Amino acid sequence: MKYMTEQLLDDLHNQVEKQISKAICEWQQLPYDMLSASPGPGRWSAVQCLEHLNSYGRYYHPQVEKAIRQNLHKKPVPFFQSGWLGNYFYSLMLPQKDGKPSKKMKSPKNHQPDPLPDPAVVLHEFINQLETLGTLLQQASHIDLNQVKVPISIAPFIKLRLGDVFLFYTAHITRHMEQAERALEAWRDQQYPYLKKLVKTA
Amino acid sequence: MGETDQLKNFITAIYPLQVLEMEAFLSIWKPYQAKRKTLLTRAGEKERHLYFVMEGIQRVFYTGDDGRDATIVFTYPPSFSGVADSFLTQTNSRFFCETLTPSVFLKTDFAQLENLMKKYHEIEHMIRIFTNHAFSGVLHRIVETQCFTAEEKFKSLFARSPHLLNLVPHKYIASYLGVDATNFSKMLAKIRI
Repeated sequence: MKYMTEQLLDDLHNQVEKQISKAICEWQQLPYDMLSASPGPGRWSAVQCLEHLNSYGRYYHPQVEKAIRQNLHKKPVPFFQSGWLGNYFYSLMLPQKDGKPSKKMKSPKNHQPDPLPDPAVVLHEFINQLETLGTLLQQASHIDLNQVKVPISIAPFIKLRLGDVFLFYTAHITRHMEQAERALEAWRDQQYPYLKKLVKTA
Repeated sequence: MGETDQLKNFITAIYPLQVLEMEAFLSIWKPYQAKRKTLLTRAGEKERHLYFVMEGIQRVFYTGDDGRDATIVFTYPPSFSGVADSFLTQTNSRFFCETLTPSVFLKTDFAQLENLMKKYHEIEHMIRIFTNHAFSGVLHRIVETQCFTAEEKFKSLFARSPHLLNLVPHKYIASYLGVDATNFSKMLAKIRI
């Protein structure tokens, strides 16, 4: 895939803006037992989904920050061309054409969240990370997204183009935010079953 | 609606200007937009601009040597924004000013405003009325920081600006109240029940 650089960074920034608005305007106001409720045996609560994302941010944000800082001499170019591997990772993160989440994947052990993380701490870190990501996307407009590369978390000897990292990393956040949203809906349905009927008949 | 209508309504409610002065005053403003978390002013730099907020939330804050920050004030529509003392005295700012949400402003600079204040007594008078209000706000805030508990400070902020709670990350409210961010979340959970 070939992207216009400016457009790509704008689109990604808008996506992150949507993500952070949801976290601030909606999730920050929710009761902790709702955020911590598991939708079923072996399934993650909303706060576990966010903690899973935080664990990736702890790896990627310093990496991306360093890559930008060390490569300010690599000036931006009008187009970004994604690499085949980067494009493959990105496609894994996207929902299916009907909007349903794509195939389940097992998370690497070091990215599996604790059973009961502290919602206040997790949400606080999650919002901080999204703020940082927005700033990094703005800084990235000063460098070449093709030439600057970042080692990936599952195999640090593989380096992907910064543009690809931004693409799959942002899509990964959306994927698990949607999963968190489903966990919250399950809680709502369980606590207020009549609401679900009302929505259905309306 | 013209781009300066909001500003016109705002000052008219506080200090109505005559037609000539109003026209001159509105003529010095230019639209300006900033994304979330944009630094408008850095500590150590002179505040050259005065902003009128039309959309979004901003904060002025101080950063200590230990990296902890203290939020001094939040600004949101309709109001002026920027580091007021640095702007008025044209000395280096001790504070930072940043956007906390995507923001839309009108913006002017010191030279243009100074020029108008010299030319029109009424404009200078209006600016004085605004600084009076700001000064009164600062003294009120000093009393709150010295005499109120964190919970009382929160209730007072919430009475003035209830919408902040739904629009900015709670760590900034914690930094305004002078409490730790996670302690703030716990305090909030307690107050809700």
